Amino acid sequence: MKKLIMIRRALIAMLLISLAGCSSMGVEPWERDVLAKDEMQLIADPLEVAIDEHIYFSKEASSGGRGFGGGGCGCN
Amino acid sequence: MKRKNSKSVAATLTTATCALLGTTTTTPVNAQEEHAWEFDTALLYYGEGDSRVQDASVNLLAVRNFVDDRVLSLTLGVDSLTGATPIGAVPFDGPQTFTSPSGLRVKTRPANEIPLDDSFLDTRVAFSAGWQQPWGRLSSFNAGVSASKEYDYLHLGANFKLAHDFNKRNTTVSLGLAFSSDELDPVGGAPQALTSMLDVGDLSNRLGSQSKDVLDVVLGVSQIINRNLVVQLNYSYSSADGYLNDPYKIVSLVDPVSGDPVPRVPTPGVDGPSHEYLFEGRPDQRTKHSIYGQAKYYMNGKVLDASYRYMTDDWDVDSHTVDLRYRWPFSGQSYIEPHVRYYTQTHADFYRTSLDSSAPLPAYASADYRLGEFDAITVGVKYGRQLQSGNEWSARVEFYTSSGSVPADLLIGNQAGREIYPDLNAIIAQFSYSFGW
Repeated sequence: MKKLIMIRRALIAMLLISLAGCSSMGVEPWERDVLAKDEMQLIADPLEVAIDEHIYFSKEASSGGRGFGGGGCGCN
Repeated sequence: MKRKNSKSVAATLTTATCALLGTTTTTPVNAQEEHAWEFDTALLYYGEGDSRVQDASVNLLAVRNFVDDRVLSLTLGVDSLTGATPIGAVPFDGPQTFTSPSGLRVKTRPANEIPLDDSFLDTRVAFSAGWQQPWGRLSSFNAGVSASKEYDYLHLGANFKLAHDFNKRNTTVSLGLAFSSDELDPVGGAPQALTSMLDVGDLSNRLGSQSKDVLDVVLGVSQIINRNLVVQLNYSYSSADGYLNDPYKIVSLVDPVSGDPVPRVPTPGVDGPSHEYLFEGRPDQRTKHSIYGQAKYYMNGKVLDASYRYMTDDWDVDSHTVDLRYRWPFSGQSYIEPHVRYYTQTHADFYRTSLDSSAPLPAYASADYRLGEFDAITVGVKYGRQLQSGNEWSARVEFYTSSGSVPADLLIGNQAGREIYPDLNAIIAQFSYSFGW
């Protein structure tokens, strides 16, 4: 019984630590200088991404993941 | 958009400083004007070795930013395709004659070569439009349409996306839906699955135009970890229904012992195939699931972009994709960006190099090399430069190479000693220019 309580306490402690970790993730609004740069956008070059996805869609059996995989081409 | 308004920002700061100091600015007023439109343009050349597919394309992305974060995006792409592509038949030590997709003529391919179809010539025009606007204080809504047209293919699509920010806008969750309805109208008519390639003029096993519908759902979370790191995680579901065959691909019927194609005699006085070939047949339903993760990390000016995708589907194709880019700025306005991509996939459960002529026909079969088992590597580099005007140009060259392996149990007789899988080497060259208007 004592062991169970200890495990429960350990679990609660871990949960609290991980929650604290979550809340410390992220930045304040005034710390977004780097993240606002064009090259730091998740899709920095949308035209190049579209071109590449079209090429790989035509040559491989996978598509999408980053965005929609859809149809749109008779090449596959 | 890559274009920076550094000049406008500098002008704005100058004006603001002057205003604070109570002096007048000598900077012309028009220097403060933001461009209404931002354009990304790209010329692309994609060329495969051994005279296979060549594609030249012109691509345009135009973005109009309105007040209150409302954004209109338009894309236009025109592709011109020529060249030859493997049709799925196995090579052997004799020439092989095929009826062309139109059913109007025959073409003979030499011995000991993977048979190609070189009647391939197409122009593709693709257009899309998207509208994004805020929805409440922390959400945004995105709706778009897409259309593309090839000689034998029409695509129409619509998509919607909702995104919601929370946790001081450090976390964004999004839900995207896309629906596409495509119509295929192959040259000579879509062949009925797993029926024979017939003599010239015999179109009795051709169907009219066919259709396919695709539904995509993407659930995403992006999280800012710290000032220099942002990560994204997506789950995607895709369901395709309808005619999913490649109407131009065939499978050889082969001798169960030698593995060579079974000879065929055309009707006297008429040209026709020299051997027995069947048009491929795939299931009319396909469901795909994928997990995609991406991280962008800023390291004192340099940016590492790493992503991974796992995909699995009910055709038994599993794939892994790893993509790494490293943007390295130098001399103020320039950067160089090496790129490496690795892709590997397992073969679809109905992938066959050929079909045993003595065995009953399976429900589905395709010899399309893209459904086979292969690895592919892309290695490339991009150079970009920002001009004084704030406009930017970039050029990239990449090499894409894929190499397949056919499981031993799919090879029959002599096929074991032959090169059955068509490996691929391609070059990707692109020149881009971004400007405001």
